[in-house]
Amino acid sequence: MAKYTIKRLLQSAVTVLIVVTIVFLLLRLLPTDYYFTEDQLMKFTDQQKHDALEAAGLLDSPGKQLIHFYGRLLHFDLGESRRIQHGVAVTKVIGSKFTVSMRLGMISMAISLVIGVSMGIIQARFKDKIPDYIGTVYTIFVNAVPGLVSYSLVLIFGSRVLGLPSMYSTRKATESSILPIVCLAMTSIAYYALWTRRYMVDEINKDYIKLARVKGMSTKTIMVKHVLRNAFVPLAQYIPASLLLTISGSLLVERFFSVPGMGPLLTDAINRYDTNVVQALVMLYASLGIIGVFLGDILMMIFDPRITLVDKGGTR
Amino acid sequence: MEDNKQINEEELFSFVEYSPEEAERIGYSDYSYWKSVFQSFLKKKAAVALTVIFFALVIFSFIALAIGKYDYKALVPDSKLAFIKPNGEYWFGTDNLGRDYWCQVWYAAQTSIKLAVLVAFGECFVGITIGCIWGYVRRLDRVFTEIYNVINNIPTIIYMTLIALMIGQSFFIMSVSLIAFGWLTMARNVRNLVIMYRDREYNLASRCLGTSIGRILVKNIFPYLISVVILRLALSIPGTITLESTLSYLGLGLGIDTPSLGILLRNARSYFLDYPYLLIFPAVIVSVITITFYLIGNAFSDAADPRNHV
Repeated sequence: MAKYTIKRLLQSAVTVLIVVTIVFLLLRLLPTDYYFTEDQLMKFTDQQKHDALEAAGLLDSPGKQLIHFYGRLLHFDLGESRRIQHGVAVTKVIGSKFTVSMRLGMISMAISLVIGVSMGIIQARFKDKIPDYIGTVYTIFVNAVPGLVSYSLVLIFGSRVLGLPSMYSTRKATESSILPIVCLAMTSIAYYALWTRRYMVDEINKDYIKLARVKGMSTKTIMVKHVLRNAFVPLAQYIPASLLLTISGSLLVERFFSVPGMGPLLTDAINRYDTNVVQALVMLYASLGIIGVFLGDILMMIFDPRITLVDKGGTR
Repeated sequence: MEDNKQINEEELFSFVEYSPEEAERIGYSDYSYWKSVFQSFLKKKAAVALTVIFFALVIFSFIALAIGKYDYKALVPDSKLAFIKPNGEYWFGTDNLGRDYWCQVWYAAQTSIKLAVLVAFGECFVGITIGCIWGYVRRLDRVFTEIYNVINNIPTIIYMTLIALMIGQSFFIMSVSLIAFGWLTMARNVRNLVIMYRDREYNLASRCLGTSIGRILVKNIFPYLISVVILRLALSIPGTITLESTLSYLGLGLGIDTPSLGILLRNARSYFLDYPYLLIFPAVIVSVITITFYLIGNAFSDAADPRNHV
């Protein structure tokens, strides 16, 4: 197991490195004017700009810059933000934002896991009856209608009928985070309900469930002890990744409610050409995604001991 | 008992004269794949109704532009006319700049549908081609898997931002870049199916008889892919419309001068709490398009699966 873990983490590290290198090279395609703040651009002469760029090593060939970048990476030095918060270390810029996103994300994930999974269970239990139809209509609506539209509906309902604030503000953090959390949860409830229902319906039709029923077990025991546990295995794969990626926040929701979180940071950083921030964020997201999938595999193994990731000698 | 059986057998069996027409009729099954697909699709009344609604919407968007009192290209901003509620002159009211909303909404609906259909077929073409090669040629599997991992691990938003900033924003650029990052899912699905079917016995036999690779892919494997391809095709249309509206909302989508439903929704964000009609019209149209396609796609892919026939 340890050998497998190390091998897999090394593979992931290579993937992350390739991703970061590609992004690094892509960002070098941008015009050099963007390495300055708006203020500096106004005042500096061409000569000053040239000197400043040369001092920062930004006029070297991309290969040399890349080696330099790797060197700093070894010391966990991700550089400084240039335009979003001039001169502040990238880690600080990210550190101040990710707690906001993570708080919203964690709460909405807890809510949607509980509601989504129970909705899926009820749908599977009453398949082809009214509760199932209601749930199906909900999942189709959320999946098919663009987020922008459904968020607008939530916003109108929330602010007109319930009188909740339509924008996020740090002063009234609790009240103003209700609507963003509802929007975030809405989508993932549909996801969990859809797949819980699908996996449970698949499981109910299997022979061992029929046997359990013939033996006279109560429907409740069958549903909870057998069907749900087996149906939850494929879902477990997905949970750690989404838990980790709550750090990254949701771009659309956070922009829609003006939440000062991680979601808009990436586009802001790209829009304002803050290359160091972009590199750090991409590296963060790529590694979180990969680690999430890995943890998901392990969680899946805990739920279902039959699954092994390591080749056993002798068996196929 | 004995007597009974004797009589029965004599009555039951009689010689049949050889008739070429009869032999022809039995020997030839008139099963046709596409006929069965459409037959089972037409049995689903809801799906048929949705298809009719969708086409009615597309046709009506042309009629609406023709009968509207204002031409989209001749719109001029006029702040005196801003925020007029829907009435006899302005059927959908006017927006924040005093422009007729009716022609904007229908023009935007056409743009969005055009973009979505174009991207769906583009993704399909690229995805199937690459997916077949990816699945069939063993040596290329690793290469493509790595390419897939790398592209998939970088958030699409980075590509879209870089493209929007460095190349520009237009209908053409948007559709090409959406195709360029959208084929991955399709290719992955196709690749998995191709790997499943490429070494089945019938293909082995076919290869031994000297069938060319192209023919094996097109005639032997492709029929199995159709239902998956159609499902992806149909789901890609609401997907593209959603992505387009998100990107436009972030300012990375189409240019401001080509209105799409996404851009209308973005403009509405600042005003719709006071003027709800600015949200309702584009929102209803976009929802009708995406929901119908979502359901049609599911129904059609069920119908296209040969295992559900007969």
